[in-house]
Amino acid sequence: MLDLFQYTFMQRAIIAGICSGISLGWLGVFLTTRKMSFLGDGLAHASLAGVAIAILLGWAPIPLAILFAVFIAIIIYIVEKKTTVSADMAIGMLFTASMAVGIILLQYYEGYQPELMSYLFGNILTITQTDLITIIFSTVIIIFLLLIHHRKLVFTTFDPDGAYLSGIDTWKYDILLYIISAVTIVLSIKLVGLILVSALIITPSAIGKLFAKSFTSFLVISTVFAINIVFWGIILSYILDWPSGATIILFGFTLFLLGSIIKKTIK
Amino acid sequence: MNAITVKHVSFSYDDLLILDDISFQITPGEIIAIIGPNGSGKTTLIKQILGLLSPDKGSITLFDKAPKKQRTKIGYVPQRFEFDRTTPITIYEFLKLEQCGNKHHAISKIDTFLELVGLNTHKHARLSSLSGGQFQRAMIARALLHEKKILIFDEPSTGIDIAGEKTIYDLIEKINKERDVTCIIVSHELNIVTKYAHRVICINKKLVCMGIPEQVITQDTLSSLYGKHTGLYHSHT
Repeated sequence: MLDLFQYTFMQRAIIAGICSGISLGWLGVFLTTRKMSFLGDGLAHASLAGVAIAILLGWAPIPLAILFAVFIAIIIYIVEKKTTVSADMAIGMLFTASMAVGIILLQYYEGYQPELMSYLFGNILTITQTDLITIIFSTVIIIFLLLIHHRKLVFTTFDPDGAYLSGIDTWKYDILLYIISAVTIVLSIKLVGLILVSALIITPSAIGKLFAKSFTSFLVISTVFAINIVFWGIILSYILDWPSGATIILFGFTLFLLGSIIKKTIK
Repeated sequence: MNAITVKHVSFSYDDLLILDDISFQITPGEIIAIIGPNGSGKTTLIKQILGLLSPDKGSITLFDKAPKKQRTKIGYVPQRFEFDRTTPITIYEFLKLEQCGNKHHAISKIDTFLELVGLNTHKHARLSSLSGGQFQRAMIARALLHEKKILIFDEPSTGIDIAGEKTIYDLIEKINKERDVTCIIVSHELNIVTKYAHRVICINKKLVCMGIPEQVITQDTLSSLYGKHTGLYHSHT
């Protein structure tokens, strides 16, 4: 089995996977606590328009997809806060509209676009050296931001009115979380695909909730499981010769089922 | 300087009038009870004092400044704290969200206030495992962590038994006396209001009456506030 680590594409996939696991697992705790798991799904799907524009222009898709997802995240925030449209409605409308734009734009691309499939369903073979550097660099910044703003992010997530009365400008931390979500999700789509990426936000947190006794342990357990789900998912996909994205997600779901059974048994 | 000044405040949701030309002042160190039937605008008024909503007409000031500028001076204990009960957060972690000095100082301050509200043995329990009364006491402990000048309690004894209710109101009285904190209690418990409040403000969209409990809580006032055949006062005394 160790020979798989000799391949450059596997090394890239595993390093990128561990980075994505850390940020998605951590972020998932905030999004699931805010009952905003759907935001992950929405931003991932919305980024298709960015990918489509980049493919048509012959540019690198990831940077444009990030910009597009950040733009959509900010629009979702504004619509949610400044209108009577609820968060799930705003996400639902904007992500489907963005996807529709992406699908229409891709009509104008002549010939088969193999890279597009890797954005939809994930393909570790398509992770380039540039992608890897971008993912590592972004993960370091994201972790840094999550660490230095930890208390305020937890406060605004768990008790927005209390945070406001404590003197925190809650909107700043809401926007920060939305932007971090957009960047993290887009960086992970080559690994698991934009259709499946939200599972890596939800599943580790669901496992974390099964065993955590405090918020700190919730964060730690979710992040550790997210890293392991991605790592062992990639290894399994190599051994079984299955698509990486689907294997990672199914492995995570299996761990959740096992965790639920263990939890019931312990009780 | 008044702790709170409410001047000619009116507020509507769409076309529905919620508050109509309400004015009153609260001086520092008072315990004020705000009473009124459901839908009378009590919670809307509280949200405006907290700066979470702005009046359509009129103004509210706290120590002569806009509520948003003074928000760190207000502690708020809501009637219901909505949170995802599956979230594993301990009482200690919940209280630690308030920044109250360096780590060592914060820990000792949290311990002090948990002891004051009788929850020191529950420090590492999950917030979701607390009973209604314990939860309210945890919220009070959190409100006390900062040196707040005004504390607002929205129906603090909702879902709490009689013994728990007395504990909470005794605690409010103690905080008021020892720390000279202005306390506002929104309540339906008229016997409690009579016992603890220095003054009562009755609202039903408009300001119906205001004064010391013995003068204000009469059958006539309550009839005009809650309807002629409520018999509320007798049922609570």
